[in-house]
Amino acid sequence: MIKAWTGKRLRIDLSLQKAWTEDIPAGDLRQWFGGRGLNASFFSQHFSSPVSSSSPENPIAFAVGPLTGTLAPCSGWTSIATFSPLLDSPRYGYTRMPGHFGASLKGAGFDQCILQGKADRPVYLWIDNGKVRFEDAHPLWGRETTETTVAIQEEKGDRSIEVLCIGPAGEQRFPFANVIHRLSWTGDRLGLGYLFGVKQVKAIAIRGKKPVTLHDPRRFLSLCLALKGRIQKDRKMQRLKETGTLSPLGLEGGEMINNGNGRVLPGSEKQWAASLGTYLSGQESCFSCPVHCGRNIQHEETYLGGIHLEKAWHLGPKIGVYDGEWTLKLHRLCQAQGLDPFLTSSLLAKIMEGVEDGPLSEKDLRETDHILEQGEKASALLHRIVRGSKNGFHLFVPTLSENNDLDVLADIISFCMIVVNRLNLVTVSNIIELINAATGHTLSVEDLRDTVWNILQMEACLQNKGLHLSHKPAPPLMGEDQMKEIVKKEERNNESIIHQTTS
Amino acid sequence: MSAISVIPERCTGCQSCEMVCSLSHEGSCSPSLSRIRMKKWEEISVFMPIVCQHCEKPPCVDICPTGARKRAPGTETVITDEKRCVGCKSCLYACPYSAPALHPVTKRAMACDLCNGQPLCTQVCTAGSLSYAPEGDLSTEKRRAFAQTLLHSMRSR
Repeated sequence: MIKAWTGKRLRIDLSLQKAWTEDIPAGDLRQWFGGRGLNASFFSQHFSSPVSSSSPENPIAFAVGPLTGTLAPCSGWTSIATFSPLLDSPRYGYTRMPGHFGASLKGAGFDQCILQGKADRPVYLWIDNGKVRFEDAHPLWGRETTETTVAIQEEKGDRSIEVLCIGPAGEQRFPFANVIHRLSWTGDRLGLGYLFGVKQVKAIAIRGKKPVTLHDPRRFLSLCLALKGRIQKDRKMQRLKETGTLSPLGLEGGEMINNGNGRVLPGSEKQWAASLGTYLSGQESCFSCPVHCGRNIQHEETYLGGIHLEKAWHLGPKIGVYDGEWTLKLHRLCQAQGLDPFLTSSLLAKIMEGVEDGPLSEKDLRETDHILEQGEKASALLHRIVRGSKNGFHLFVPTLSENNDLDVLADIISFCMIVVNRLNLVTVSNIIELINAATGHTLSVEDLRDTVWNILQMEACLQNKGLHLSHKPAPPLMGEDQMKEIVKKEERNNESIIHQTTS
Repeated sequence: MSAISVIPERCTGCQSCEMVCSLSHEGSCSPSLSRIRMKKWEEISVFMPIVCQHCEKPPCVDICPTGARKRAPGTETVITDEKRCVGCKSCLYACPYSAPALHPVTKRAMACDLCNGQPLCTQVCTAGSLSYAPEGDLSTEKRRAFAQTLLHSMRSR
């Protein structure tokens, strides 16, 4: 077993209600590093052609990186992959989810978890430090996400359990439903709620307390302390910490609004942010993160969980809602029902623009015509959609924004891309040092670059060209330009290691 | 007399304290190997780190049948003598916080030893929930904070 890894893959068959573990070959771990790479390699090894997203064979794969569940700062992300239901033909899709779920999975003794099959009754999975049980989820069916989370924790008598669950929207198999954990962190843009609904899995509850062993604990400790210290002192980080993820607002520039038909009015986004800001209370953070960029929302004495800029923006100015209170109400509805804020936003924008797309009847639409306040209208429409039919959705799926291979690299090792790429607080050489101290595996920048290339190629094959990898690999999707950019960034940070190895 | 002071309102539940504690004491990362424990109620956003307060009148020392829980010679720090500890769990029950925990492997009681005067958890706590200062400073700070709250409410009347 390589240190920092568990070397185990948890396979779950819901149809047979069986769970077993497989060894992940050490070579695979070395080759793919983690999260996104492990998932892509699993899919390309097991599927020669895509399967229907609603079929029992369609796997949902969760995977983490070598530094997940350790002190490494900002290492709390989880990679998720599946054949997504959001596209006309089933196609490989992946997403990333911040929070604490990945660390619990690692703590339970697994680097990867594959969910296949279809349960014949509602169940939730109870993974207790490596043991898996299929529990009856009838009493939880139909309940909102917060209630579900608390009910499972109370049933097991342990509030330290991490619960990833769907809400009523997922049970009703809305394609734009998502999975949520700790009331704030979601797996979006993949139709995960729908897939959980189809498989009749209400939740995955994990208690993971097994230790993650390290190759050189002393060195790892000092590297982490130095890195945390540096992140803490950084000015950009301090701004992010004070104002939450709302801070880059205005800097991003040119964010499209009203379903892409207009640009934000100057000053209005500030007004929206200010009205939203009055409801902010306290902070929350992902596993082992020194930034704490999540901000909590308190509305009329009720605690509404955490909020993040991107989601709030999609339920705010993006659909023409400039009143922070309505944004919060929409956010609350999405959170309770388990709806993907990004997809819900594009659906609402489309309907409110006057393009009838099936989910609502003429009568429903007429009844909201008199409402002038955009937020109230959005809320009324969403309530009708949630209560009403589920047929005929045509969704525009916003893609994950990926600036360059640093994002991919962050994704592979399950790091936070805001810290790695946007703020450049964790550099490639930091990552190499951390992986070295954790696993004892000496890496070079070339190794990392090759891995990023290979994973992107593999994903491109999975997404576009059927699933055959036997033919000659496609030419690298990224050229030297991106690598130069990394080097430039490194130089900006006065890091010399990259420079030495590339020159 | 000094201990780690906890301001639960500021804790964001990142578990960095647990990770650094287990890593520095045990060489691997796990909440179950940590001397400090974060308890959470996410639906009301309450996160609460629990750690040994090195009491003036420590009930764990009084109740320990083998004399394993004791003050370290020359200091005020309450420690566990692993050779004497039999893992009877009396200290876990006697402690008002249940701050000591049973080591999952050795099955001996483990509790905060203040890392020889430089607790690492207070260094990684960027949320400002954990701090370490001599007792005098701590109470002064708390008193001042309370006085400020009082002043604020008196003025706003």
